[in-house]
Parts: sequence; structure tokens; C-alpha cells
Amino acid sequence: MSNEKIVEIRKLSKTIGKKQIIKNLNLDLHKGEITGFLGPNGAGKTTTIRMMVGLMKPTQGDILIGGKSIRTDFEESIEKVGVIVENPEMYKFMSGYKNLVHFARMHKGVTKARIDEVIQQVGMQNRIKEKVGSYSLGMRQRLGLAQALLNNPKFLILDEPTNGLDPAGIREFRMYLRKVARENDVAIFVSSHLLSEIELLCDRIAIIQNGELIDIKNVNEHQQSRYYIEAKPSEQAKQVLEEIGFTVHPHENGYLIDTEPEHIPGAIKLLTAAGIDLYAVQPHRTTLEDQFLEMTGGGEIAQAHTK
Amino acid sequence: MLKLIQNEWMKLWSKKATWIMAILLIVILLANAGITKWIESTSPAPEIGWQEMEEMNLMSAQDQLQNPDIGSAQQDYYEGQAAIAEYRLANDAEPFKVESLQQQVLDGHMMLSLVTLFTVIVGAGIVASEFSQGTIKMLLTRPVKRWKILTSKYITTMLFALLFAVITFASIALFSWIFFGVGDGAFLVWNGSEVVEGSYWAEALKLSALSLASTWMIGTFAFMLGTVFRSSSLAIGVSIFLMFVGVQLVFLLQRFEIVKYYLFTHTDLTQFYTGFMPIPDITMAMSLIVLTVYFLVFMLISYWTFSKRDVTA
Repeated sequence: MSNEKIVEIRKLSKTIGKKQIIKNLNLDLHKGEITGFLGPNGAGKTTTIRMMVGLMKPTQGDILIGGKSIRTDFEESIEKVGVIVENPEMYKFMSGYKNLVHFARMHKGVTKARIDEVIQQVGMQNRIKEKVGSYSLGMRQRLGLAQALLNNPKFLILDEPTNGLDPAGIREFRMYLRKVARENDVAIFVSSHLLSEIELLCDRIAIIQNGELIDIKNVNEHQQSRYYIEAKPSEQAKQVLEEIGFTVHPHENGYLIDTEPEHIPGAIKLLTAAGIDLYAVQPHRTTLEDQFLEMTGGGEIAQAHTK
Repeated sequence: MLKLIQNEWMKLWSKKATWIMAILLIVILLANAGITKWIESTSPAPEIGWQEMEEMNLMSAQDQLQNPDIGSAQQDYYEGQAAIAEYRLANDAEPFKVESLQQQVLDGHMMLSLVTLFTVIVGAGIVASEFSQGTIKMLLTRPVKRWKILTSKYITTMLFALLFAVITFASIALFSWIFFGVGDGAFLVWNGSEVVEGSYWAEALKLSALSLASTWMIGTFAFMLGTVFRSSSLAIGVSIFLMFVGVQLVFLLQRFEIVKYYLFTHTDLTQFYTGFMPIPDITMAMSLIVLTVYFLVFMLISYWTFSKRDVTA
């Protein structure tokens, strides 16, 4: 994975009416890296993405794609971008093939051979001549991916790409994306509110809340090794653990301790020696969901819904 | 740009509605010719001959020339009409019957309001439908500036209008040839000093081209509404309403100076050659200037809203 920057978001702001939707957002995206864009509903994900693809104009700041500004060099900057904004809406009255021809004509140098290649890549050769109106959502999603890949993009932007897909469809779609990122060294930026989805797909996650970027982290970053211990009587167990020197955090019906695996057998021996009954000792991994809720303050999703 | 127009053309003709419009147009023209034929064959022979008709034409033209209110274009027209009628009577030169290829072709420009109607439907929908289908997102995230996309759509609408005008003209010629055949008579024109024989094809083409100004303006208006409001039904409704009511308003506004700057006073450019002028003291040059100004305003509004708009749909 190279570390070459392909997209730079610089001090991006968007004000609609009196409301500032996006506040001074800065973010870099690199080649071959899949970045997830996560946030509660109404946090500004879609607005950010629409500014990145030229559907909305930034109030302030700029977006550079391959070094070209989206504001002053729109055609050059968007040349190497593939876009799927929510459900890819196609011309239903035309065949999948004609849809691809239509979009290919809007790019420079997309040949007939390239169109056929992309059709192969998403595995649509059997039904490409049929009208889009007859396609299932999964097929349309694939066609959407095909149109986004036509111009050999260096950067792929996907806004809620799996909305409305069934689990099998989501899995299939995820595999396509991984393949594309790996084989073509493409930077991918995916927005979603499906945490598990993002966790499975992305290398890196940017979290947005109330129009501000609150965190960027790598998914497979080494996590502090933690163990969950449930024992009774629990007060006594806590005492024993603290005497050993662990920092003890209450969690559910037991405690969490930060420690490496090699210290666990010793701790168990000491606990049983003290006449404490052990009910559970297990490694504890915080899921992305926990982290996300921790960072965004939990109730935000529900609040955003009721607004 | 050529590729963009090719795209719009492909989308336009991939829709069933476009084909239905084309078929409808031909069917209406066929029915029109058929009904004219049927009326001719069932009604009794006219009681008066063409000579009496020409005498009546001559008298009414001379009457009009006494009218102090007519403008110079009308004056020329009625002088010509009177001269032609006199010539026909003196030289025994029969005019075309209504039921003849020649007269049908000459009157063909009147059927172009059908083309206007269909152009309004296409022009109103060509931008608005992209919004309602959601495909606008796919269209605007390409390395093509927005004004180019809008231009390709406008040109496509105008090409459509032109194609339908050609279909209309060709259908009228074909159907009247089948139903009525080439009739007797001569096409006469007054060139200002004498009556000479002219080409009815050239005259018909001239009148049709002039009629297209109205198609152009109303089509552009519908295009603007569709672009601004992103609703084709609204744009079609308002445009067609104005197409019928707009002309009536000319008569209501007749007494006011403002009528000279009103769009529908000028949309019918054939008025300078057919003698029917609600506002007599306007000239062709003035009409062309007014139409151009309206056109520029419509275009400016369309381009401005389309380029500035944040796409949130």
C-alpha cells in the first residue's frame, strides 16, 4: 500500500441558509486504501460527498483530486473519479449496455473494449442487453459499479452503496470493492452508517459528527489487550485483582482489566486461592460500534432520528 | 459536444413517448387530409366559380386599403392581393383549389403548432426528467462542465423540433399528393410592381420557417421552466396554457404601449406575409429584436440556475 495522496480535502465548509452543515473539514485519502466515512444521520456525510463530486459547491475551502481543484479545474479533477451516489439511478428505459455507452461518451478515451472489460469485471455479460428497468437491485448496483469503473478511476467515491441490498448482495459488493482496490490501486471512500459493514470493508475510518471530523483511525490498529472477568463475590474479586496491581473497570456483571495474556493464568490461580468462584474469563474486544458510540456520545443517532 | 448531443438523442429516442409522438403527428396529418377529402367528396359542388371568389377577394382587399388603421406591412399585403386578383381575372389564371397538393403545402405551416406542442413536451422534460429519475447525479459527476450538458440538451430539443417540422411538411406533401394530386392553377406573387409566377414550394418553406419562430420561443420557454422548476408537468402545463392564452392577451393589451414588447405580439412571424396583424405598427426587424431579447433572457435564467444549483435530490 503506497502512501501517495490522491485526494486532499482542505478547510471544507458548507453553509446552507444559516446552518453550517460542514465545518472546516480536513482529510487526505491515499492510493489503494479504503477509507470509511462514518457518522450519525445528518452529520454531513452526504453533503461532504456531494461536494467532492461536484454536485454541491463548497461555501469555503477546496477539494484537490490528483492535485487539481474541484472548484477551478472541475473537468480535470473529476476525470479520474468514479462515483456511486446512493442508489445508482440509471436510465431504466435503456439497456444496461446503452447506459454504459452513454456514460463512456462523457469521458475521454473510454473505448468499446473497455466497456466490455468492465462488464466482464462485474459479471454482467449475460444480461447487459436487457433494459435496466428489468434488473433487480443487486444487478443495478453492479451496473452502478460498472459505470463508476469505466474511466479507470484512481479514486472511487461511494455514498451509502449498500443501501437496500440484502446480506448476500452486500457481501458480493464488498468483495468487488476489495478486488478493485487491490488490483487497480484505487483509493476508495465509502460513506455508511452500517458500522459492521465499514469495519469489514475499510482500512481506515473517518468519523464525522455535526459537520466536524472528530477522529480518523486505522481499523486493524493494535488494540490494548483486555480481559473480562466475572467472579463472585465480586467485591472480593475486585480487591484481589487490585492487589495484584491491575486497574479494574466495572463492566456488566464483572470487571475489565488491561493486561497481556501471559498474566491471566496467574490471576486465576490467585482468585481461586482466595476462594472466589470464577464464572467467566474472556478476552474483551471493543467493536467498532462501541468505539463509535463512545466517540459520538451514544444517543446521537437516536436524537438525529427524532429531530 | 457532439457526443453529448448523441447521448441526448439516444435517450430521447429510447423513450416510447417520443415514438408515440412521432406516430401521433403522422396519424393526425393523415386524418386531416382524409377528412378534407371526405368533406370534398360529400359536399355539393360550390355554387360560385373561382372568378366570383376572386372578385370578392379584390373587393375586400380594396376595402382594407381604405382602412386608415392598417400598417405598412398590411398595406403591401393588400395591394399585392388586389393586384393578384385583378391579374387572375384579366388573364384567366385560376388559383389553386383548397383540395390540391399545392394549396395544402402552402397552408402547411398552420399545422406546425402541433410541432410546438410536442417540442414543449420534450423541452420541458429533457432536464426535469433527469432530476425526477435521479440520473442527474450520474450526469453531473462526469468530467463535463454543466453548461455543456445544458447546451447539448437545448440543441437536442431544437433538433427534435426541426425533425418534427420536416416530418410535418413531408407528410402533408405526401398525403395531399395521395388524396388530391397536383391540381390546376398558378401561384402568383406581387413583387411590388408587377404580378409574376412564383414557386409555391419556396413560399411554403418560407412560411414554415417563419412559423418555427413560435415553436422556437415556446420551446425555449418550456425548456427554461423545466430547468428551473425541475418538474416537467408544471413546465408543460404553463407553456401550453401560455401558448393558447398568450396570443389572446395580445388583443386585451392592444390599447397599451406595452403590447409592443409583449412576447406573443411577435411570435407569429408569418403575420407580415398573411395580412393578419393584431398590432399593425410593428415591423419584422422589431419582432426579431424582441424575440432575441426574450430568448437571451430565457437562456440566461436556464444556464444560471442549472450551473449554480446544488443537487440534493
